[in-house]
Amino acid sequence: MTATPPAETAFRVADRLRADGPWDVFGERIRRYEIHLTGRSVEMARGPIVLEGYGVRLLRPRDGRTGVGFQASTDLSDDGVRSALAEAEAVSRHSVFPAKSVALPSTAASRGAPVDVRDRALWERPMEALEAHVATLLAAFDGKADVAPSFGSLRATLTEASIANSSGARASFAHTTVELELAVKAFGGPEGPPPGEYWVNDSFRRIEPGRVRGDVEAWCGFARDVRRARPTPSGERPVVLPPSVVAGILPSVLGYRFTGGARLREVAPAEGTVVGVPELSVRDDGRVPWAIASAAVDDEGTPQRSRTLVSNGAVSGLLYDLLHGAAFEVPSTGNGVRGGEWFHDWRRFLHAPVGTSTTIVVEPGTSGSDAEVVEAAGDGIWVQQLGWAIPDPLSTAFGGEVRIGYRIRNGKLAEPVRGGTVGGVVLAPPGSPSMLSTIGALGSDAVLAEGVLSPTILVKGLTVAGPGG
Amino acid sequence: MSDLRDHEAELVHLLERLGRRTRFAEVMADRSRGLGVRLDKRSTTLSPQPRLEGAIVRAWGGERWVEAATSDLSASGTGNAAEVLDRQLEKASGGHDPPGESATTRGERTEEPAQPMRDMDPEEMIGLAKDAFGWATAVPGIRDTQVHVGWTDQERFYLNSAGARCFQRLSRVIAGVAPLAFENGRVEFDFLSEGGIGGREQLRFLTEEKVTHLAKGTLELLHAKAPPAGEMTVLLDPSVAGTMAHESFGHGTEADQFLRDRSYLKPLLGETLGPDTLTIVDDGAYPGGWGTIYFDDEGHPGQKTVLVDRGRFVGALHDRETAAAYRTKATGNTRRADFLSRAFVRMTNTYVEPGDWTLDELVREAKDGVLLERATSGIEDPQGGQMQLKVKKGRKIENGQLTDLVTSMALSGKVLDFLRATRGISRRADFELGPGYCGKGHTDLLPAGTGGTYLLSTAVVGTA
Repeated sequence: MTATPPAETAFRVADRLRADGPWDVFGERIRRYEIHLTGRSVEMARGPIVLEGYGVRLLRPRDGRTGVGFQASTDLSDDGVRSALAEAEAVSRHSVFPAKSVALPSTAASRGAPVDVRDRALWERPMEALEAHVATLLAAFDGKADVAPSFGSLRATLTEASIANSSGARASFAHTTVELELAVKAFGGPEGPPPGEYWVNDSFRRIEPGRVRGDVEAWCGFARDVRRARPTPSGERPVVLPPSVVAGILPSVLGYRFTGGARLREVAPAEGTVVGVPELSVRDDGRVPWAIASAAVDDEGTPQRSRTLVSNGAVSGLLYDLLHGAAFEVPSTGNGVRGGEWFHDWRRFLHAPVGTSTTIVVEPGTSGSDAEVVEAAGDGIWVQQLGWAIPDPLSTAFGGEVRIGYRIRNGKLAEPVRGGTVGGVVLAPPGSPSMLSTIGALGSDAVLAEGVLSPTILVKGLTVAGPGG
Repeated sequence: MSDLRDHEAELVHLLERLGRRTRFAEVMADRSRGLGVRLDKRSTTLSPQPRLEGAIVRAWGGERWVEAATSDLSASGTGNAAEVLDRQLEKASGGHDPPGESATTRGERTEEPAQPMRDMDPEEMIGLAKDAFGWATAVPGIRDTQVHVGWTDQERFYLNSAGARCFQRLSRVIAGVAPLAFENGRVEFDFLSEGGIGGREQLRFLTEEKVTHLAKGTLELLHAKAPPAGEMTVLLDPSVAGTMAHESFGHGTEADQFLRDRSYLKPLLGETLGPDTLTIVDDGAYPGGWGTIYFDDEGHPGQKTVLVDRGRFVGALHDRETAAAYRTKATGNTRRADFLSRAFVRMTNTYVEPGDWTLDELVREAKDGVLLERATSGIEDPQGGQMQLKVKKGRKIENGQLTDLVTSMALSGKVLDFLRATRGISRRADFELGPGYCGKGHTDLLPAGTGGTYLLSTAVVGTA
């Protein structure tokens, strides 16, 4: 006998929600599987960790503004739904947001065209798929006497997300996310230099076994290079940032400063403001296939789309969720995103939506391959990995330690460097240098790396501080 | 008041059921309640802690651990978790006893604050936030201020098949103020944040004098200079010294990294790493500390562990497994971020013990260098032993005097070089223990306290 799967979480809650509108419910049914590694051994396999829950949001008119109430719960009983509703109602009496009224997406508006965000093989046989991927990963280290994984985990989250609201909208979609952490260690010989590590932290939507061998070769190369790296030299010099490093910088800054939230707090750049070089165009796109933040609709039920932020160096638009759109009487751009403001929580139902970016797309330039971008740098630094850029979205300052990089000499990658810091600001007042205003070259190929789809970028105005001369 | 002990019968039954298939099983039930208020010029947001509770069960499968979690604490929910584990244990046969010693602690710690935050009306919390907002924005030039006040009551109930039974309730309170100033397209802020275990007394630091001073300092940041760059003498304020103790040094003492051969510190146990004025500890029993725990998630009491004793690296942090491997005792540092997360060896409150210098003496001793203030983040490098610490602001030190205000910076260098170069640590009067959230890598965030006093050493500094 085949069991009938229960209806989507949000629909079941919405059907029992005895409340006046406007309200919306975001529900998730989640299965999580994890494999943890110590060296080449499986230390622990976990899963399925099953979690089902929902977040109820109420939007109550209060003296020309909106009282916003939110509560999340895993209790799907009638009593549980009543309790969550009562708590959200109580919260709405104290929370105040400066929007007169908020229009929720209607039935028709909540139907976005599908986008690829579900790994079918992973969905159907999750633990087997993870085990197979771990085996492929470990096999790629076979025969390497001087490099091995020391620690790692592969964690897959399989989510059935659903949204319902008081305007009749009902949307649902399934998606998969995989988080990979792998510490790759190079060693050998008691007389040699200390071991070197390349620490991989990545998130993606699907498992691609065909990429593993190439990725592992590259990681092993970086780990070996850590051992022989020289101190990073100091000075103002061109810095080349590959997409994986750009991913640690731009989404945090543009995902705040280019939003209705920033506009409300008077820190968003005005339309037409020049923030970058004329060759720079940036958009936010919630429909990039297999991107972590892509989906047919955002977490408020608004269809996803592409939104231009910077056109030829000048600001051309901002991102809005429903609330901030209502505050400025503009429609949501489909940027209502749940999951926490600073760290992406795999339990998105626990969080009320905020207006932020999905995938930041830096339009490719005409500077060619990575080798050609390096050639354009002449004399500089290629930053392969920063400790953690952690930009400050308000001042837009960012920076971090060079965990592994390469000296660029005479337009070619030269010896590896490590240590010291690279930093600057993403946006600066007119006349002051910033990352975006001192871009010297944009590569011709964009690569998807977590929250960005970006080419390799050459920046001329960053400060490098290191112990090397 | 109902609490997790109401589910004891179901949890004990679960352990008894698993006892037929395993040599050891444990269950940790977890529940939180709380409320946060965030306020600025345009909006007030209340965020109740989600209604999320559940239990995680871990059993020894003969060769390795197996786990299952449930958000349903009823007999049916725990029964389902037991079934999942039963199936996994069925596949595992034979093997050996679980590593290490099983805790047999029995205790209950539910110390009630004199004025629990849960008794505070939301409007009163908003009122406190509005006071701080008003003090900051009364300073001419402050355009906006973000204020946050929040509390969480966390219950954990741990039981195992060896007889341990530990119940704890931890009431954590945190608040912060960040005034904002803008000028000619430049945006700056400064911040103040404190927190710990207790009640509303934890909010006493939010005074008009402190907030006004903070707001005036924010305005100065608009005209702060770029920081110096390169290798130089650095003076860390207490927040930065604490972040160094935790991120740069402490992560390398988590002995699960020893087992993986992933700590630059492992071969140095017993060696002298710094001057005899340098002592670093992890203290899960620190009264009122943000990272304090009464029991860890293997049933060991929270305790103080000396990591560096007068310059010598003497101790590491252990769970039952690493303690067995290194023939020592578990140190009460096994922690789960929540009932859905696996356990790791984690820090609690990590700090540098005070020394005997005054701040003035340290500045004079520095002669030329930079003071780094207001830690904003740090990241570990347990294998490589490099350090990255980021700060919001600082001051140049020139000819033994504090001079120009400078903007945010990142500090880098080798931890061992940094410790060896430690030249002075200031007195207990400067000691601060602050609140933070720690990840094991980039995930599994949990509360961890960091602290210390002013500390003088050498490192590379750059813009950030």
